[in-house]
Amino acid sequence: MSLGKLIERLLQLVPVLLGVSVIAFLMMALTPGDPVQIIIGDQQITAEQEAALRHDLGLDRSIPERFAIFLGNAVTGDFGESFYHRRPVSEVIAERLPATIELSLVALLIALATSIPLGVLAAIRKNSIFDRIATVGSLLGVSLPGFWFGILLLMLFAVNLHILPVAGRIGYSSEIEPITHFLLIDTLLRGRPDAFLDALSHILLPALTLGLPMTAILMRVTRTSMLEVLRQDYVTFAEAKGLSRRRVLFRHALKNALIPTVSVAAIETGSLLGGNMIVETVFGWPGLGRLVVESIFLRNYPLVQAAVLFYAVTYVLLNFFADILYTVLNPRVKL
Amino acid sequence: MKFLSRALLATTAVLLFAAPAVSASELTVGFTLDADTLDPANHRKRETETIIRNLYDGILTRDAEMNVVPEIAESFTQISPTVYEFKIRQGIKFHDGSDLTAEDVKFTLDRLTVEGAMGDGQTSPRKSLLGPLASTDVVDAYTIRINLFEPWPILPAQLPFQEVVSKAFVESVGTAGLATQVNGTGPFKLVEWRKGDSIIMERFADYYGGASDIAPVGPACVDRVIFKVIPESASRVAALLAGDVDIINELPAFSIGQVEANPDTTVMSVNGTRSFFVAMNLEGEYFDDIKVREALAHAIDKDLIIDRILGGYASRIEGILSPDAFGSSELPAYAYDPELAKQMLAEAGFPDGIDVTMDVEGAFKDTAEAIASLLTKAGIRTTVAVGEGAQLAEKWRTKGGPKSGDMFFTSWGNGSLDPFDIFIPTHRTADRGNSAGYANAELDAILDAASVELDVAKRAAMYHDAEMIVNHDLPYVYLWVPQDLYGVSTRVSGWQPSADSRINLHDACVN
Repeated sequence: MSLGKLIERLLQLVPVLLGVSVIAFLMMALTPGDPVQIIIGDQQITAEQEAALRHDLGLDRSIPERFAIFLGNAVTGDFGESFYHRRPVSEVIAERLPATIELSLVALLIALATSIPLGVLAAIRKNSIFDRIATVGSLLGVSLPGFWFGILLLMLFAVNLHILPVAGRIGYSSEIEPITHFLLIDTLLRGRPDAFLDALSHILLPALTLGLPMTAILMRVTRTSMLEVLRQDYVTFAEAKGLSRRRVLFRHALKNALIPTVSVAAIETGSLLGGNMIVETVFGWPGLGRLVVESIFLRNYPLVQAAVLFYAVTYVLLNFFADILYTVLNPRVKL
Repeated sequence: MKFLSRALLATTAVLLFAAPAVSASELTVGFTLDADTLDPANHRKRETETIIRNLYDGILTRDAEMNVVPEIAESFTQISPTVYEFKIRQGIKFHDGSDLTAEDVKFTLDRLTVEGAMGDGQTSPRKSLLGPLASTDVVDAYTIRINLFEPWPILPAQLPFQEVVSKAFVESVGTAGLATQVNGTGPFKLVEWRKGDSIIMERFADYYGGASDIAPVGPACVDRVIFKVIPESASRVAALLAGDVDIINELPAFSIGQVEANPDTTVMSVNGTRSFFVAMNLEGEYFDDIKVREALAHAIDKDLIIDRILGGYASRIEGILSPDAFGSSELPAYAYDPELAKQMLAEAGFPDGIDVTMDVEGAFKDTAEAIASLLTKAGIRTTVAVGEGAQLAEKWRTKGGPKSGDMFFTSWGNGSLDPFDIFIPTHRTADRGNSAGYANAELDAILDAASVELDVAKRAAMYHDAEMIVNHDLPYVYLWVPQDLYGVSTRVSGWQPSADSRINLHDACVN
């Protein structure tokens, strides 16, 4: 892809982001529920005190006025102050982001590492018992609700077998000075294999829960596209040439069969962010998803707006990345 | 060989000395929510308060029986209807080793109540909790006076919710710094706040001991305390059963059996402060008639629901106040009698019954369904409509404005256990929690007078009168006050849950 095309695609981001900010703002502003009432909670308060609080939060202004302020500040990177944390939302989100990204990446890794071999195997042994088990398994994987599956894993591995912890990101004896804020990397960089194993034991169950539906989807994509490829003339030709079965499968077939898998994986990574909200709640994972869910119920406007924008940017970038990857893997496709 | 054995000996010695003589005792609480901030003046959440209260002490506190007792104060007296004097204890140290004086207490109260005192023109969101507090004067290094705009008997009940900060520390780190840094006088010092994950604290060795009325007095029993955030209740229960945590809050009633069946865990409960009730739309087509409201009251079998759904952990109420609240009293009960309910409906002109809906938040759907089926049996055919909390609050709490809907199954908390905080918002004409749309000038006058009445006996009598009025008028069907349930490891001793839902870990020990 040429540089010009790349820039053009990046510029397309601008109207998307503008649109998303309008929607994020309006959705919050127009949803019933008054942040001031929620903050006050079950207390007696005078009308003046209530008005003062509303003023302090900037909610005494009209919606167009608030939108203008929001947009004006947002372009300078200022998304306002969280109603509850009383700190800039960018700061609050930045604190929680590494945990979410780390969890999503590990889930992606698990999904890729399991789905591709399983998908290939199912395709090679089409209609075998293995293929049938894998197909039913993937159907289950897509349909099992994450919170239920997560709690089952918890009951088995944490409560009954006592081999993995229930919640959190790392134990309390493992205090690691952050470098990248990704604990699996930081523990290794600091030369603490014990803490690395500790962090790994914490991330395993949430990552499995989060990665499972993706494994199922990717496995089916891989299986289908592998079957497709195996029917192609060039595969028959390669076999006719007398190449070994292994060479045909891995050098000729798999390379092409993985093209759809990779692009679906890139797009599905965006939905990992959404799935995070449930998994983070079940496993007490200190990530962004849980923070956003809590903030929606509390009508913490600035935080939700900033987080929605962040999700949108990530999603758009991932799609963009998938497109680029697609052209790299399959030079016949042009953007 | 000699070298080898020496080296071995030396290594062993180093290892022996390096290892701590006694392993540190650590208590972990599996807790529903993270703190929003660690600044005692900049939040409005109970969960945040619970965490902060282990790091900071207040001027006053409450004992296990919910009596208000001095904490940082040595004693307090009311020297006129609008002036209270507090003697501050000497020898109290902040975590940084500096001494606490009356200046710090004044600074704390000013920061809470003076407009713009938080910096950047911001006022503390907790200002309204201190009602008519006008000013604070320093009399001498260990005496302060609080001046009120009008008599306000609730002041002592509200002071346990306000924690004392160090003036010098706040001036150096600012309000922004105080959000994440702690220099309190509480039994524990902050070690680390892993946001969204946990708050780690350790024992403050120079702690003055806490309220002298609450034994034992002295430094905390455990070395370290961790509040670990686990929002999902099934996971919190799992963490307790797995032994990962020692105490969990908000134990769901359906997990009681599981926790009791485990030999290492037990259930602890304490009377809560949240009253549950069904609001009826008094402007609606049916509930303007008191006969219909009475029919509703007779159609709900409270005991059955308490027994079957709440695990027996709740107390019935016939008025808005919890049995533990100031001014609560015996009230006439509406007995469960579905036949009588049908008869009353017929008398009200609905011999064939009525069709109504009841709004409820998702978390209470089960209870609402049970109520609906009881009502339906008595001819009040009820459909449950599940909505989201903030949206339902806006629909029903219209401050006197017009509203739609028939019934709303809801609740109101009363952490101070003083009636003013629950009675006024839910019952005074057009007040912010009045979801029934109830308006009674006589009741309004009693509530307003009781808020400023200083004679304790007179004030209690006024609230009894108020309860009798609402028990008769029935703007709501008053249901129950559930107990707060905790799952606790048998390792823990010296700790008991508290009715204001604070988790005070000063006296807790682990074996």
